[in-house]
Amino acid sequence: MRLKFDEQLEKLNNELIRMGALCENAIAASAKALLEGDHTLASEVPALSAQIDQKERDIEGMCLKLLLQQQPVARDLRVISAALKMITDMERIGDQSEDIAEIINMANIGATDNIFCIHDMAMATIKMVTDSIDAFVKRDTALAEEVIHYDDVVDDYFDRVKNLLIELLRSAGTDGEYALDLLMIAKYFERIGDHATNIAEWVIFSITGARKDEIT
Amino acid sequence: MTNRIFRSICLVATAVLLAALALIMTVLYGYFSDVQKEQLTAETRLAAKGVEQNGLAFFDGLSAGDTRITWIAADGEVLYDNATDQTAMENHADREEVAAALQNGYGESARYSTTLTRRQIYTAIRLADGSVVRLSIEQNTFLTLTLAMLQPVALILFLAVILALLLASRLSRRIVEPLNRLDLDEPMKNEGYDEIAPLLRRIDAQQKEIRSQRDELKQRRREFDAVTDGMQEGLVLLGARSNILSINRAAQSLLGADSDCVGKHIYVICRAPALQALIADAAAGDRGERVIAISGREFSFSVSPVFVHGAVVGMVLLIVDVTEAADAEKMRREFTANVSHELKTPLQTISGCAELLANGMVKAEDTPQFAQQIHKEAQRMTALIEDIIRLSHLDEGAEDMNREKLDLYTAAVGAVQNLQSEAQAVGVKLSLSGESAMLYGIPQLLSVLITNLCDNAIKYNRKGGSVSVTVRTEGDAAVLSVADTGIGIPKEDQDRIFERFYRVDKSRSKKVGGTGLGLSIVKHAAKLHGARISLQSTVGEGTTITVRFPAAN
Repeated sequence: MRLKFDEQLEKLNNELIRMGALCENAIAASAKALLEGDHTLASEVPALSAQIDQKERDIEGMCLKLLLQQQPVARDLRVISAALKMITDMERIGDQSEDIAEIINMANIGATDNIFCIHDMAMATIKMVTDSIDAFVKRDTALAEEVIHYDDVVDDYFDRVKNLLIELLRSAGTDGEYALDLLMIAKYFERIGDHATNIAEWVIFSITGARKDEIT
Repeated sequence: MTNRIFRSICLVATAVLLAALALIMTVLYGYFSDVQKEQLTAETRLAAKGVEQNGLAFFDGLSAGDTRITWIAADGEVLYDNATDQTAMENHADREEVAAALQNGYGESARYSTTLTRRQIYTAIRLADGSVVRLSIEQNTFLTLTLAMLQPVALILFLAVILALLLASRLSRRIVEPLNRLDLDEPMKNEGYDEIAPLLRRIDAQQKEIRSQRDELKQRRREFDAVTDGMQEGLVLLGARSNILSINRAAQSLLGADSDCVGKHIYVICRAPALQALIADAAAGDRGERVIAISGREFSFSVSPVFVHGAVVGMVLLIVDVTEAADAEKMRREFTANVSHELKTPLQTISGCAELLANGMVKAEDTPQFAQQIHKEAQRMTALIEDIIRLSHLDEGAEDMNREKLDLYTAAVGAVQNLQSEAQAVGVKLSLSGESAMLYGIPQLLSVLITNLCDNAIKYNRKGGSVSVTVRTEGDAAVLSVADTGIGIPKEDQDRIFERFYRVDKSRSKKVGGTGLGLSIVKHAAKLHGARISLQSTVGEGTTITVRFPAAN
C-alpha cells in the first residue's frame, strides 16, 4: 500500500517538475521574444500556456485523488497541499508569460534595447523562476530563501523601469502607448517574480512545515 | 518470547500442583477413611461389650464426643440414641447396616447427606440378646475437603504465577541478551551460550560471502566508472522509471550535477521539456536524438531504450557537447552570408556605373571617373576574392607551400618597404627596428601576415601617428611586434577581431576599405607556423599585436 503511495508521490513530483519546466520555457520564450522582437517565438507562448493549464488540471486531479484515497498525514500531507498551492502559482506564471507575449504581438514592440532595464528585469525574473523550480527539485531550502530575497531585486527593477518610463512620458513627443505597453510588461514580470516567491515559500513549507511568517 | 516462557512455566506449575493435589487427596482420603472405619469398628465392639454388660446404664454418663451411638432392639425399635430422642425415631430394622448386623452379627454402611457435603459411616454389631448397637461418625466428604483446600491452593497458584513471571522475564532476557549484543561484523568473537554457536557460524559464513560479493561488485563498479569517467561524452543509465542508475563524470559536469543524484529522477538534474519528450519516447521504445540548448550551451542528447524480453527496462542517455560544432556551423553560415554581401556591394556599383555608361547617360568628360570607379570596385572584389582564396587555402592547411629557414627581419623589411607609400599617404610614420631572427616558415605567408598587421596598423591610425615594427629573438622564440598609436580596440571586441568579417566599427569599414579578412588570415597563418598571437590595446592610445614564432636553432 505504502509502496504504491510512494510511487504516486514520485509521479506527482515528476509532474510538478515537468510543469515547472514548461513555465520556465514559457517565460524564457516571452523574454526572448521581447528582447529580440521575435514574433514567431511570441506566438508559441499561448500553446505553452495551454499545456501548463492542462498540467495544472492533471496535477490537481492527482492531488485530490491522493488526499481522498490515501488520507496522508504529516509530511505527505504537506507535500500534497503545497503541490496544490504551487500549481496555482505556476499556472499564473504561464498565464502572465502569455500576456507578455500577447502585448509583444499586439503592440508590435520591436527588439527593445536595454534602455529601460527591461532586459535585466526579464533575466532577473527568469532566474527567480528557474531557482524556485530548482529549489523544489533539489529540496533546497537555502536556495528557496535566496529566491524569496531576490524578489526585492525584481521589485527594484520594476521601480526603475517605471521611473525611466515616467521620464520618457514627460519628454514631449514620445509614444505614450509604447511606454504603457512596456510598463505592463514590466508589471507582469514583477508579478511573475511574486509567484516565484510563492513557489519558494511552498517549497520551504513542504520541507520544514514552517509557513512564511514563521521564517525570520 | 517472555510471554511464551511465562505461559509454559505457569502451565507446568499448575499441572504439577493439580496432579500432586489429586494424588495426595485420593491416597490420603482412602487411608484416613480406612483408619476412621477401623476405629469406629473398634469403638463399636467396645460399646457392644459395654451394653452387653451394663445394659441401658452403660449409656449414662457416656461421653461419646462426635460419635453417635444408637441401640436398636432386635425388632428394629430404637432403644437409645445419644443424638436424638429415641421415642421419635422410626423403626431401624431395615437400615442397611442394622439389617446386615441382625443377619451376620456385623454390618457397616456409608451414606451421603443430600447435599453431598457430609458423609455418615455406620458400623453395627449384634449383641447376644439379638439387639444391635450402632455407632456412626460424620466424615468430611472428598468435595468438602477439596473445597476447604481451595484457598491455599489458589494462594500457591498465585505465588507460582508471580514466580513464573519473574523467571520467564529473566530467562528470556538471558536468552535474548547475547543475541542482541551479537557483533554481526565479527560473529565468531561473540561470547554466548553454546546453543547459539551454530547461528554464529552461519552468520560468519554469510558475512564472508556478502563481503566477497560486495568486493566483487565494487570492483566491477570501479571498472565501469573508470571506463565511463574516461569518456568525453556524458553517459547516464536510467532505470525503467527514469531514475538515474549511473552517471559518469562527463555527464555530471555537463549537466552541473553531482554524484548525489544517483537514484533520483532524471528530471532532478535536467528538466528541459525536449529531453522529457525524448525520454518519454524512449520509455515507449523509440530511440531518439536531439540538440537541446541548456544554459547557453548546445548538447546533443541521444536516448536509447534497453529491452529485456521485449519490455523496456531502462534507457541509455548519451550527451555530447556540440556547442563548438554548432558555433562552427553558425560561423560557416555567417561567412557565406557575409561573402555574398561583400561581393554584392562592389558588383552593384559596377553594374550601376556600367549601365549608366551603356545608356550613354554619362557626359564624355565624366567617363574616366566612372571607369575609374568600376576599376576601383573591381579591384576591391579581386582583393576580396584573393583573400577568400588565401583563407580557404589556409583552411586546407596550405600543404603545397614549402617551409624553409628564413629571417623574420628580412621578411619584415620587404613588407615595410611595400607599405611605406601607403603610410605616407595617410600621414603615418612606419618604422622597423630590431635584429635578425631565424625561423622555419613559409615566405609568402609570413609576408602576408606582416603586411596585413602593418596595413591594419596604418589604416586604423590617426594622422601624424606612427607604426613601429620590431623583430627580436626572445629565448627560443622569434618575436614580431607591431605597435601603433591608433584608435585602439575596445575590450569587448578584442576576442572577436580575428573572426572573419568582424569589424569593431562598422561605419568605418567603408571609409578605410579592406576586406574584413586581414586579421583572420593573420590568425590562420600564425596557426600554421605554430605561433602565438597576443594583443594589448587601449582605446584612444593604440594597439600592440605580438606574434611569437618558434625560432629555428
